[in-house]
Amino acid sequence: MPLAMMKSGESACIKKITGGRTARGKLTGLGLVCGKEVKIHSDNSGSGPLIIALGDNRIALGRGLAHKIFVDKKGCEK
Amino acid sequence: MALKKKKKCSNQIKIALAGNPNSGKTTIFNELTGARQHVGNWPGVTVEKKTGSAYYNNCSLQVVDLPGTYSLGAYSEDEIVARDFLTSDDYDLVLNIINSGSLERNLYFTVQLLEMGVDLIAVLNMADEARKKGIKIDHKILSRMLGVPVVETVASKGKGVENLLAETVENQGLQKDQLKINYGFEIEDLISQIISQLEKSNIQDSVNKRWLAVKLIERDPEAVKLLEREVSKKSAKKIKSLIAKTELKAELDFDSIIIDKKYEFINNIVRKSVTRPAPEEEPDNISDKIDNVVTNKYLGIPIFMTVMWVIFQLTFTLGDPLIGYIETFFEFSGALIGSFLTGFGFSSLIVSFVSDGIIGGVGSVLVFIPNIFLLFLGIAVLEDTGYMSRAAYVMDKVMSKLGLHGKSFIPMIIGFGCNVPGVMATRTLDSKRDRIISILINPLMSCSARLPVYVVFAGALFPNHGGLVVFSLYLMGILLAVIMAGVFNKFLIKGERSHFVMELPPYRLPTFKGVVIHMWEKVGAFIKKAGTIIFSVAVLIWVMANLPVGVEYASAESLIGRFGQLAAPIFAPLGFGSWQAASSLVFGILAKEVVVSTLGVVYAAGEGSLRTVLAANFSPLAAYSFLAMVLIYTPCAATLGAIKSETQSWKWPIISAVYLFVLAWVVSFIIYQGGLLLGIGV
Repeated sequence: MPLAMMKSGESACIKKITGGRTARGKLTGLGLVCGKEVKIHSDNSGSGPLIIALGDNRIALGRGLAHKIFVDKKGCEK
Repeated sequence: MALKKKKKCSNQIKIALAGNPNSGKTTIFNELTGARQHVGNWPGVTVEKKTGSAYYNNCSLQVVDLPGTYSLGAYSEDEIVARDFLTSDDYDLVLNIINSGSLERNLYFTVQLLEMGVDLIAVLNMADEARKKGIKIDHKILSRMLGVPVVETVASKGKGVENLLAETVENQGLQKDQLKINYGFEIEDLISQIISQLEKSNIQDSVNKRWLAVKLIERDPEAVKLLEREVSKKSAKKIKSLIAKTELKAELDFDSIIIDKKYEFINNIVRKSVTRPAPEEEPDNISDKIDNVVTNKYLGIPIFMTVMWVIFQLTFTLGDPLIGYIETFFEFSGALIGSFLTGFGFSSLIVSFVSDGIIGGVGSVLVFIPNIFLLFLGIAVLEDTGYMSRAAYVMDKVMSKLGLHGKSFIPMIIGFGCNVPGVMATRTLDSKRDRIISILINPLMSCSARLPVYVVFAGALFPNHGGLVVFSLYLMGILLAVIMAGVFNKFLIKGERSHFVMELPPYRLPTFKGVVIHMWEKVGAFIKKAGTIIFSVAVLIWVMANLPVGVEYASAESLIGRFGQLAAPIFAPLGFGSWQAASSLVFGILAKEVVVSTLGVVYAAGEGSLRTVLAANFSPLAAYSFLAMVLIYTPCAATLGAIKSETQSWKWPIISAVYLFVLAWVVSFIIYQGGLLLGIGV
């Protein structure tokens, strides 16, 4: 499912990132890559940008971009 | 990529500070160089490289502070500045500043540098914050796995900086092997094919071939450009088709594999060198708790508005009593110097030049130092605590309706201080379209130069509601900026919409030193401006007020009077058709503070009585209409210059000068004529 559909407090593992070179490049630089566990800190009640936690970092992510990130709610294999 | 040099300090050592935003580069830069330089907690405060110098054991070091960047991909102007410098070879050593608390992400940039063959020292900064979280980093393992020296610092407390200098001098000119990550059989095979092709096509020795090959496989646009520059068209084409064919045949996304392998390499390092407590044992995160409130869907915008309101209220109410003292000082010294000069038999012309021209002109602007000081204090605190990026987050919803996103809001806040850095801060935006729109609306953010005009009018005509009047002007600026952004988005500027992704750095208590340095810099710039531009304009206006020879000083017959009379009819429907008001607006284009100093001259009043004169010559309605004009109309010369240099074209400064004047006229017209109709403030 896309990251954009997740709710506050939920965690998931990044499985796939679609989108263009620029979008992917920016996400990669911030550490958002396949195999990383992310947690939704604020889903902004379903509209507007989300706040996600990646380890100790907090990242504001536009909803459009969040639709390009596909996650698995089962989490990452440890 | 540094050249091999003897390990002596015969030459100056040139070092560059590079790393992720918010890793403390500028703090280290300040510690190393002692330069007066703003320390920002917001990514992208440094948008241009800055240079300073340092000394250690008779060694002279030139230090370059680069804008923060997450990768060498360079998606925005400020990142391009950093990337271009790092690929230029024009340095001996890079200090790669790393935020110890998020080693993994920071290492992604480090690895990119190492693959390029950059000689660097890994600087684990903010070591105290990491320790507080219970994160332990084994320097020895990290150093061995990366193949570079590792130094720990807490730059905000000045710790480890001495050691860093020692390591820098020690390691300059050490040639290390380029880092090689194994990208797996398919890609490695392709890499060696490309390298042999590159060698066949007689590429220069200085080009790092493996690095270029990897970048070409990633389809990095800059690498493609480099290839086309370095080898013949035929060879370039051959290499490009080799990559395309191989990838197609392998049925793999090479770009993704390269990224994955890099992170795999980094994860392995982190696993072996970092120990951290289990998630449940981690201390409570205060930043998250603050964010729950500050970025709340419903509270976010009201909280931001309140924060801004408090800043403007403080600026106004705390600053006002102080103005009185400074006014008295200038009045007193003006009168003293005047009678002193007269006593020594100087001609009345010289006495007038000093007391009316200089003290009247420059003094009337310097009076507002307390307000400027407080305003910049407020903005410095916003920047240094990390609240700025939250403001960008909460404003994203509003901004995205206008086709911009939250990040575009930060140049706007910086514009409250001064539009020139505001325009420059648009470099952090990665689409050209977003940049142009943000640049065009930035002058609507009411800068500190306009504050003196507001304060003097508010004091004269709205003595009981001064703070409110000033706040309403700031709000008007924001609203107009929002409206104009929507208009530009809809009708004028087409282009790709960019993605919104932004780090929210943890909140930090601003250090006293940081805030004071920042503020002093800005106030110093204001004083300098008063001593140069405003001084020159004051002299010019004084001369024009005395010509043609024999005319009564600053009368309607003087040059400035005639000048003002020429422009006055334009402003008559707005409620301030006097030649005095008109001439002050004309000269205000040179610098907005000049509006006050010109009014001071043409009403031939000292600072103290300017308020009285204004109260006699303006109705509250006309004054408010005039203030709206000052807020909106043509940006000052320095801002127009910044727009020219940032857009590399005369088109945009001309467009902004014209549209803002027209907008100002329309808004003032509506305010004045509307007010007359309703009978408010007449």
